[in-house]
Formats: sequence, C-alpha cells, structure tokens
Amino acid sequence: MTEIKSGAAVATSADIRGATAMQLRDVAVSFHGRTAVRDCTFDIAKNRVTSLIGPSGSGKTTLLRALNRLHDLTPGAKVSGQILLEGTDIYRGDVTVTELRTRVGMVFQRPNPFPTMSIYDNVVSGLRFNGIKKKALLDEAAETSLRAAALWDSVESRLKVAASNLSGGEQQRLCIARALAMDPEVLLMDEPTSALDPIATLRIEELMTTLKSRVTIIIVTHNMQQAARISDDCAFLLMGEDRAGELIEFDTTEKIFNNPKDSRTLDYTLGRFG
Amino acid sequence: MSDMTELDKPIEVDNELRNEIRRISQHSRARRATVSKVMIALCAVALVVSAVPLVLLILQLLEKGIPVIDKTFFTTLPSTPSLIAPNATGGVSNAIVGSIALSLYASVLAIPLGVLVGVYLAETETKLASSLRVIAQTMAGAPSILMGLFAFSFVVRDLNIGFTAIAGSFALAVLMLPVIVISTEIAVRGVPNTLREAGLALGAKSHTVSLRVVLPAAVSGIVTGSILAISRAVGETAPVLLVIGGGFTNSWKPFDPVSALPLTIFENAKSEWPSQRAQVWGVALVLVAFIFVLSLSARMWASRKQQVRN
Amino acid sequence: MSLVPAELVVQDEREAVAEYNSATVERSWYHYVLLAGAILFAAVSVGFVGTIFWSSLPTWLHHAGTLLGGKGWVSPAGPFGGLAMIAGTLETSLIALVLAVIIGLGTSVAIVYLIPKRLRNVVATLVELLAAVPSIVYGLWGLLILAPWMESTVNPWLNKWPFATAIFGSPGKEFGTSLLLASIVLGIMILPTFVAISREVIAVVPQDLIEASLSLGATRWQVIRGVVLPTAKIGLFGATFLALARATGETVAVALVAGGVANAQFHLLYPGTSIAAWIALTFGEAQGNEIAALMALGVLLMLLNFGFSLVSRWMVRRQRLVLERV
Repeated sequence: MTEIKSGAAVATSADIRGATAMQLRDVAVSFHGRTAVRDCTFDIAKNRVTSLIGPSGSGKTTLLRALNRLHDLTPGAKVSGQILLEGTDIYRGDVTVTELRTRVGMVFQRPNPFPTMSIYDNVVSGLRFNGIKKKALLDEAAETSLRAAALWDSVESRLKVAASNLSGGEQQRLCIARALAMDPEVLLMDEPTSALDPIATLRIEELMTTLKSRVTIIIVTHNMQQAARISDDCAFLLMGEDRAGELIEFDTTEKIFNNPKDSRTLDYTLGRFG
Repeated sequence: MSDMTELDKPIEVDNELRNEIRRISQHSRARRATVSKVMIALCAVALVVSAVPLVLLILQLLEKGIPVIDKTFFTTLPSTPSLIAPNATGGVSNAIVGSIALSLYASVLAIPLGVLVGVYLAETETKLASSLRVIAQTMAGAPSILMGLFAFSFVVRDLNIGFTAIAGSFALAVLMLPVIVISTEIAVRGVPNTLREAGLALGAKSHTVSLRVVLPAAVSGIVTGSILAISRAVGETAPVLLVIGGGFTNSWKPFDPVSALPLTIFENAKSEWPSQRAQVWGVALVLVAFIFVLSLSARMWASRKQQVRN
Repeated sequence: MSLVPAELVVQDEREAVAEYNSATVERSWYHYVLLAGAILFAAVSVGFVGTIFWSSLPTWLHHAGTLLGGKGWVSPAGPFGGLAMIAGTLETSLIALVLAVIIGLGTSVAIVYLIPKRLRNVVATLVELLAAVPSIVYGLWGLLILAPWMESTVNPWLNKWPFATAIFGSPGKEFGTSLLLASIVLGIMILPTFVAISREVIAVVPQDLIEASLSLGATRWQVIRGVVLPTAKIGLFGATFLALARATGETVAVALVAGGVANAQFHLLYPGTSIAAWIALTFGEAQGNEIAALMALGVLLMLLNFGFSLVSRWMVRRQRLVLERV
C-alpha cells in the first residue's frame, strides 16, 4: 500500500506536464462517517485532460464532486485533506464557494439544460447568476462560448427556442457552452458522453481535445477507450476491502495503459475485471 | 460539417470580456450572498408562520377541551342551560350516537358501490371508464355543502323521507364515493401484473382471477381508502346540516332525525351561554381525536401493507 | 398508497394504462355487476348535478338578473340578490389564496431544502393530519379565539394606517367577525392543501438541474428562484387553483367567522358572507322561492369549483409532461 502511495506521489512531480491547475493532497470524502473515497494525492496539470477511471463504486464521481464543493449541501458529507486551486485550499474558510464554482465548472452525466429556458438563456444563465446584466456582454459571452462548444453555427438562427428542442448531443454541448461562459479555469466532466450515441460522443471528445488549450479538463469515464483516446493523464481508482474507493495509480495516460506500476491497473485496463 | 471547421479554429480567449465578467461578478458577490441568506431565512420564517396557528389550534383544543370532558359528557343527553342552572349543558351522547350512525349508514351505502366502480375503472378501458374517472376526481373536490343540497332535493323532498339520519348518510355517502373509487382504482392497479398473469396461465377465467387474486391483493389499499373516506365524512358539517334534523335523542334508527358532533359545534359555538360555548371545545376535541385515530390507523395499515410487499 | 387526500390525486392515465396491461374482463356475470356499479355511479353524478340545477330552475327562469347582480336578500319573500355572496366568496378566497400561496411557497421550499431528510416524513405526516382537521374546528377556533383578539387588538391597530378606512371600513363599525377574519381562517385552512402539492412539485425538480446551477456559481436562493420555481411553475399554478377551489367551497368555517351578513360591500373589517356560508346559514328557515335561489347559488358554486379544479388538474398533468421532457 505504502509503495503505491509513494508511487503516485512520484508521478505528480513529472515535469513534462508543466504548470499545475489543482493539487490533491490526501483527499478523502465520507458520508455520515463512512468513507467513500480516500488517499487521493495527485496533481492536475494545466491545459491537459485528466481522466479518472475505475470500476463502479471506486469513488470517481465522489472525488470529482469534491473539486467544486458540490458535497457542501449533502448532509453528513465530509471532505478531508487538501484540494488546492492555484495554491489555495478550496475548503479554506475564507474561500467563497460561489466564486470557486465559477472557476471550476461542471458538466453532468445527463445533458441537463434548464428546461424552462431558451438556448440563449441557458448559455448566459451562469453570467446572470453572477450579476451580469449588460446585454452586450451577455451577447458576446454567449457567442464566444457557443463557438467554443462548436454549437454556434447550428443554433445562431434559433437562440430563442427552448433548449429541449436540441438533440441529446447538442444539449450536452450546450451544457458545455453554459459552463464555458463563466470562463472557468477547470472544467469537471462527469461521464459526459454516457447518455449519448457514438457519433455525438465522438464530437464531444473532439471538442474536449480542442478545449484544453483554454481550460483544464478533468473527466470521469467508465469507458477505457475514451480515457485512452482523449486524456493526457489518468488516475486509476479501485474499491478497497472496506468498500471505500482509493487511488491505486496516477500517471500519464500512456504509462497507465502501456506500462502501469500496479498489476491491478493492468488487469483493469485489459478488461480483466470491472 | 460546419462544426468541424469551427473546431479547427484556434480558440481565442478574450481577456477584456473575461476581466469585465470577473469584475462584475466579484462586485455583486457579497450582495447576492446576503440576498440569498435573507430569502432563505424568510422561507424558514414562512415555515414557522404556517406552523404557529396550527400548533396554537391543537394546543388550545387540548387546553379547553380536556376540562369539559367527563362521564356525563358521553352518556347524557343535552339540556338547555337556564338562569337557575346556567351550567346545565348536559352531555352530547345524541351527537356521538348520531355521528357513528351517520358514518355507519354512509359506509354501507358508499363502500360497496365505490369498490365496484373502482374495480371497473381499473379493469376496463372503456370510454365510460375514462369519463367516470374524471367525474370521480372532480366530485372528490366538490364543496360538501352541495352534497347537502343534493340530499335535501332528492331524499328529503323528492323521496319525501324527511329530515332523517338516512338523508344525512346519503349526503355523506355521495361525499365518500369518489374517494373510495379513486383509492380502489389505485389499489387494484397497484397489484403486480405477474400475479394476474400467473392466474391466467393456470387457465382461470379473467373474472375468477379478478375476484380471487387481484381483489384480495388490493384489499388493504381499499380498506385504507375507505377509512380515510370515513374520517373525512365524520368531520363534515355542511352536508348534514341541511338534512338530519338535529335530533335530541340517542336514536340509531335510520328514519329518525339525529344530531352529529360537527353539527353540535356549529349550533352551540354561537350560544349565549358560556357553559355551552365551553362544552363545544370538548366536542371538537373528541371529533379531532377520532379523526386522527382513523387517519393514523389508515396510515399504519398502508405502511404495514408496504412491509408485507417488501 | 400515499395518504394524499383523494382530491389531490392526479392520475396520469397514459401512465396507468402503460403500467397496467389490464386483461379486459370478458363478458360474464362479473362484468355486468361491475358495469351496473359504474352506471349507478354515473347516475348518482348526473343526479347530483341535475337535481341541484333542476331545483334552481325557477330562479334562473325568473330572477336570474337579481341573483347575479342584486344587492339585498330579503327572507322569505325576496328579492334574493346574490351580489354580496358572490363578491364575498371571491374576496375572501382571493385574499386567503394570496396569504396561503406566499406563506405556502416559503414553507414548501423550507420543507424540501432546509429540513433534514429524516424529519421530512414527520412534517409531511403532520401536514396531512392538519389537512384532515375538519373545517368546523377551524371555524370554532376562529370564532372563539381569533375574533375577540381581532376586535380588541388587530382592528384598532389596522385602522391606524393611512387609507385604512377605505380598505377596512370606518372605525367603530367594524367587527371581530369580518370578511378579513374569514380570509385569514380560510388562508390557514387551505395552507396544508397548497403545501401538500407544492412540496411534492418542488421536491421532484431533478437534482442535476440544481447541481448544474450551483456549479455556475448560483447562490442557494438563485437556484430556487432561477431554476427550481420556474421548473415547477405549472405544477405550482395547479396547486394554487386547487387551493382556490377549496377556498371557494369552504362552508361552515366562513359561516362562523365572516359575520353572516348579506351586505354587498368591500370593506374588509365589516361582516359579510360567502355563497356556501350563506346556504348553510339560511337554508334551515328557507321556503319555496328562497330554496330555489339558494339552489341557484349552489349551481354558481359548483361551476366555480369545477372550473378551478379542472384547470388545476390540467396544470398538474402538464407539469408531469414538462418533467418527462427533462
């Protein structure tokens, strides 16, 4: 166990990856005293895609949601350890959670545009939540983020129609545009393609590759091919004997898939379990 | 594929836009946090405000009701106070007997028919069934005074039966019917299809399956719905007010005029005698206690059924 | 089954049919027994509407104008003007509705988002029990507790404000039992009805919409105001109309606390009455034409109530469709 942990720690210092966006130090999440995930220590490199992989129950999503403090409202949830964003612990008392969430955006499993809002209103909803009312600013941000999400050309003429008129894939790109409109530094994606067909999935994957020049992406995925295709770094989590997930290995995706340190990682990536 | 060409373009980050957005959101953050706290606090206040009158009502009901309840309260007939005996209110035995008799006859009238109709709605998909469903739902919300008007016109006047217990029971039965219909339908539809298919697979006729398999499985839902319907009917004043005649005897006979607990409250709440006004609290307490016991036993019955199923 | 009162149950027919592939009962004695029950129920319903309407026919034929617009109600000979009752019904129901919706919305939000999950079932049970307290008990409480308090404390205080006389009526002529007290008691009574539905409608707003808005930096209130309430909007309107249907039909509580005077006026601290309360108060002594006039008031009440409850049902059903699309 200890060896693995130190192995993970070593991997964090890999200097080819440049600047770090977030640092996780011994992060654990528990609900009502029951640990769901623990021992997570690794660095998220800037402008790269980091994937969290592992079988169900390994705590990937739980860990991801700790990164923008979505557990804050869950009764009985407790996050321990340190999560640093640009060097500041996001759980420190003087950090405003609403501000943190504008810097760390999130895209969910199921495309979830706000059903009562138009396409335009969806994209600018974050800006409006944050007090921006000027039409010119909203328009500009809407166009920029819809372009960034590769959606502008197809929705430019129908910005005022309900978001529910879009296809599943378009809805998910709308949700990405909605998150991008806040211009976050980090974008968390929780299995963003699990509800989509293969073609829509492919387009979201292409989008992620383009987007990383602008935003650091952390993605939870069940799909190992997806992790191999799109991510630069990869964290492998596994459920321990006491049913709590833990970090087994963190490294570049290339190493995790081709030359992992832990045999369990190899077994998982080869599809021997999970 | 226009999107593809879009993707090929480098994504330029507009720093000016970013800074302006950051600035405004930073600027408004404290205000938004305060607004949020205030509004959430107001919601908590609303919860308290809505709880206060209801809690007060229950407390005052207990405080004023308990002292006036004694043995004579249940066992003797009412009497009218006079200057010589200003506290001679007597008991309310006639109202207790009346309320029980009214709900009993109303149940006899309403439950069998309600169950039949509920099963019909669940087991058939005719036009009649879907319109009856809408009718039942609308009737379930109809003002209860209308049931009184109906019972007066039809039973008291047209059938010439007069102001009697049976007229009141008729009004209450009309009130209970839609409740029983709806809950029976839900209970019957709640029976798993596998049970029914198992019966049919054994070669049983569909009506045998319905009677022997589906109905027994649905019976606790039907009982729950019926108890709720009774608990609603027993507290109703308006429908019985117009038709039961306000009898002053302990009569169980359906063709006698009777009284009822809610009617006693309605008539004595405005009494000039303080002793009668005080006694009304006891009547209200007995009525509410009776209804709560019925509702809670229905709830327990329902949850027991759930456990059996699980 | 849930203990939501039957009038609050809105079944989705398509859903029911899809879930329950009922083997249609074939033609047998059993089928005919069920059919006979259904026909009897249909007859009762038709009789219910028909008898009341039939009994009111003389009024509609000869005195329709007086009933709808006349100001005085003179027993036993007439004229029987219904303006005071119609106005009183609308006035008390609308004020009660405003009170109940404002407080009820806050209460529902608090129940769903502020109360710990374990306590939520207890609160739901309490709300349902309070909805089961008979209206006569609310009326008694209003008459014997609230009315004296209104008279001694609230009325003098209300009349201190500017323009108070225009709204409440002249000081000295006002009473404890008044249209305002009737509105307040009605508001308290329809609160559990409204909360029972609005709580449910708010609780089923999908969690991931809430998380999406939180992830955009929304405050808790912004999530509620910007996402939860708009998503639940149609269902909340449905709850409002159902509460309105209940308020208009409420009888004995209003009969006890409104003052029971057929004055067509709008000053809130003066005594007044409503359609249902007036029927309850005068029916016992009524004869002939007066009975027909009261029946005609009953028809009006029926139309109001059925209208509101149909709108309500339609809205709650549409809310389900909205959520299905999400």
